[in-house]
Amino acid sequence: MLDEDKKSICFVNGSLRGKKASSLEFLKDVELRLPDTEYNKTFLTVKAKSKESYPENMLKGIACADTIVFVFPLHNYGLPGALMRLLEDYYQYIEVGNKYNKAAKVYMIVNCGSARPEINEEAIRVMKNFSRRLSLNWRFAICIGTGPVVVITKKAPFLDLKLKRAYAEMVSDIKSSSSEKKDNYLIKPLIPAPILTRIKNYYERKGQMIQKNHKPQQTKE
Amino acid sequence: MNTLLVLDKDSKTKLSEDLKVKVVKTLEEKGHWVEVVELGKNDVSPCLGCLLCLTKHPGECVTKDIVNEIRKNVKKYSATFYLTPVLFGHFSSTIANVMAKGTGSHNWQVIIGFGEDIDDEEKSTFIDLTAKHHGKADIVHPGMNRQVDVFVSRSIEDNTIICAALKTYAG
Repeated sequence: MLDEDKKSICFVNGSLRGKKASSLEFLKDVELRLPDTEYNKTFLTVKAKSKESYPENMLKGIACADTIVFVFPLHNYGLPGALMRLLEDYYQYIEVGNKYNKAAKVYMIVNCGSARPEINEEAIRVMKNFSRRLSLNWRFAICIGTGPVVVITKKAPFLDLKLKRAYAEMVSDIKSSSSEKKDNYLIKPLIPAPILTRIKNYYERKGQMIQKNHKPQQTKE
Repeated sequence: MNTLLVLDKDSKTKLSEDLKVKVVKTLEEKGHWVEVVELGKNDVSPCLGCLLCLTKHPGECVTKDIVNEIRKNVKKYSATFYLTPVLFGHFSSTIANVMAKGTGSHNWQVIIGFGEDIDDEEKSTFIDLTAKHHGKADIVHPGMNRQVDVFVSRSIEDNTIICAALKTYAG
């Protein structure tokens, strides 16, 4: 049962990697900062099955929300296909005349494999175009470079202060009624590149993303 | 010269059909043998992002769909053309999934977006999504320095202009 006095937030996880997804970790980081006593929360995850459109109740969950937070990995410098399918289905759902909350605030958290978070720029532009098409209230994005590495280092003190500030800003903006324009946050790992490379390789081996005998090349930052 | 042309069959319009016919005609006149593959949302599974196609079994996707078959034969194509509707400045989900699975020719790729209601910002986003990051500009996948071209069509006249441009170097 939804408490109608509470504001509603819809979190959209755009990753298909299940519990291994870095996106899920970033989503939880924001979600935990928003108390259940104040918000009705809806969680949606994109699906791998291609043979059916997204169900109406899922699309309604987005349409009713006061705030929508999209969290996803960068794919081919853009949106993952499964998330794009959700946006297409949602847009079609609205186009046929279904009601939606035009005042909904839109945020996104995107993470990429590269240490350079600025490569997420075009994904931000796509989400801004989506918001503009539907007259939604686009707010800002948090762009995270080397997402999987940030996930395993984020609990270490002093390493991710900017990420914590970005989360705090997102939560504060969700609570606020201000329409002041906000800049995007670019989160670059603070760990020196050679250490970062070793952590990344460890993570990839552990996650079986590369073979155990694979010798990665050092990348120049 | 073998050329693969992939298009999104769920978004067929008068504009996209005109574009397909003109592109195929242009390429055939330049001596290409063109194989047209029309795919829809229900034909292509999304990329899971597992990266196993890069690491454990290179070139092979864990989901066995028609795209996996295209991917297996990718080396036989000198060029790959993608015809996609432009949605919010992005490729359609179908074409995004096809591209993410490495179906592009290792020599030359052409991405043509279409849509009569694409606004200027969406057009610019679509072009930057390709031009700023693919081919030689690809920093995440270094070494993939194939030629990648991008065009956007918003009208039948644009289709003609794009094909005239292709004629100058598609030989």
